Amino acid sequence: MRSPIRIVFEQRNETPKYLSTLVPLISVIAALVAGALFLLATGYSPIDTYSNMLSDGFTSSRGITDTLGLSTVLICTGISAAFAFQMNLYNIGGEGQLYLGMIGGAWAGLALGDRLPSFVMIPTVLLLGSLAGAVWILIPAYVRSRLGTSEIVTTLLLTYVAASLVDHFVYSPGSFFVTKNSAFPQGRLVPDSASLTAFGDTSLYPTFFLVALLALVLYWVVKRTEYGYRIQVIADSPRAAHYAGINANRTTLSVMLISGALSGLGGAALIVGPFGRLDPGITLLGYGYAGIVIAALARNNFSAIIVSGILFAGLRSGGDKLQISTDTPIHIGVMLQGAILLFALGGEAFRRYHIHAVRAERTAQ
Amino acid sequence: MNENIWVLASADSVAIATTLILAALGALFTERSGVLNLGIEGILLTAAISSFLAADASGSIWLGLLIGSLAGALLAGIHALLSVVLRANQIVAGLALVIFGTGLANFLGKPVEGKTVTTIIHPLSFGALTDIPFVGPIVFGQDIITYASIAIAILSSLYLFRSRPGLELRATGDDPATVDSQGLSVASIRIRYTLFGGLLVGLGGSWLMLAQSAAWHQASTTNGIGWIALALVVFAGWRPLRLIFGAVLFGFTLQLPFTLQAEQITFVPSALMQMLPYLATLVALIALSRPSTRNKLGAPKALGTPFVRDER
Repeated sequence: MRSPIRIVFEQRNETPKYLSTLVPLISVIAALVAGALFLLATGYSPIDTYSNMLSDGFTSSRGITDTLGLSTVLICTGISAAFAFQMNLYNIGGEGQLYLGMIGGAWAGLALGDRLPSFVMIPTVLLLGSLAGAVWILIPAYVRSRLGTSEIVTTLLLTYVAASLVDHFVYSPGSFFVTKNSAFPQGRLVPDSASLTAFGDTSLYPTFFLVALLALVLYWVVKRTEYGYRIQVIADSPRAAHYAGINANRTTLSVMLISGALSGLGGAALIVGPFGRLDPGITLLGYGYAGIVIAALARNNFSAIIVSGILFAGLRSGGDKLQISTDTPIHIGVMLQGAILLFALGGEAFRRYHIHAVRAERTAQ
Repeated sequence: MNENIWVLASADSVAIATTLILAALGALFTERSGVLNLGIEGILLTAAISSFLAADASGSIWLGLLIGSLAGALLAGIHALLSVVLRANQIVAGLALVIFGTGLANFLGKPVEGKTVTTIIHPLSFGALTDIPFVGPIVFGQDIITYASIAIAILSSLYLFRSRPGLELRATGDDPATVDSQGLSVASIRIRYTLFGGLLVGLGGSWLMLAQSAAWHQASTTNGIGWIALALVVFAGWRPLRLIFGAVLFGFTLQLPFTLQAEQITFVPSALMQMLPYLATLVALIALSRPSTRNKLGAPKALGTPFVRDER
């Protein structure tokens, strides 16, 4: 032992409850502090930046409804990521599944036209979007469950394919999804029967409550049903699951398909909600990637995802308006997302281990 | 059909392969030590914009390449800290790095969005040799970093399979407990190769910027090359020499959409053509995971698992 002082990681037998809340909280604060130092170093004012983000994201009433509106899709991609992550299946292609949900939802809305009443149309659009999201993960899910092909890179690669698909449907001449005879290619709006109305003149749609409810339902499914139990057993020990007669392949397939469908639902929610059309701009927003951060920060807990989803929506909507109010690049929002996750991961160590320094002599056994 | 354009396409495949070789080699060294760094795409982007800004400010491509490579090592250092020291989930840590790196790169690149870098790497000229039909542009029309990347890959192969430290590196990825019992520090080996891997990825990103893109287009500057590089490591069975051939092959699919567009071959719409490299990579990954081939590939056995001595 070269140094007299040694850092010891002692595995905790039981994690104190307060740490599970404290660690994510401190991660967020630490990331904001690191972000402030970075802003100072690059010549921007951290106080201006943060106070603008805060007032645009959280404190004004306009800001709060914008935040809740945006959180709808983020909670979707968050529960999508968490549903797979909890079984150690890393579906990181939620971004692409979200695009497919938009394509599927827009297709349903446009193809069925104005013939059906809203109470049929809205569920159909949401369902078809979810289905499209599930279809998009079908191949990675199938080869993962059959051949063991790592789902990490396959799901991600399909996101790039999905982005090209969106471009194709918007920019190819005579596409079903765009307005005919328009000067520049633009997605065709779905009929009124397939659009929900926002509350007042906000951008908050009823889908928010649907999605929040869905997160709570999933929480219940995982904690209280046999299916959820099976997922937990496989996650804890695939071998134990095997001896318990659990068919891990089938569960893998179904968990991944549901994960894809949830991201797809997020895309369809954008169709009945704020977008109303297939918009190529979606590929620049990174809502799917944000879901990964949201799930990780909530440690795959579905009810906590509602909270972290709203938190991130505030950060995002505040960040997106930053360009207008200050000269700080909006990308600080995405940077902070990444930084929060990095700090949260580092903080995990303090939650799982009792870390302390000891004198080397005393540890000699 | 114009034959010349296919010669140029082949030359382009070799050129684009440079980033793939360097990025995949970086990932290979990291993974051989047992650390999985999925953050390659984020590192590439950050390195690219760092090299852009450094080259533009100093007027020197060498300084650009240096700063870009160091930026790569710096980001990889975050990964090493999280996954080796703090034993975090390496998959999520890598993803966090992609998100953080993308945001950081876009932030730093804001002032130069859409602008071209003024200091770029030019191909070397071998005089008459470069003018040989077919072979000339492909073999003798590349720039110094492209040649260097192939040399680095060959040297890496020798290092990995013919040297003592190479053996230690491979052992760390396969059986860290044994390495530990030999009195070597698993953590220190893993940290070193994660940093070195980041340096190589950074060099790849800098080259992409200074030789290929020459303009900053946010995330489309790298357009998923980092992910393809990760697949390439699997494709090459964690062997540097096979990686060269794989990189040229994947490089070919990456430039094909542009060649076909230039040739005005439009039976496939161009947006769909853009999918080709990703679909080809996907098919390669799936084909490689048939049980008969999987065992022969030789993934490091301890890849992605933190080493904890106390629990042995």
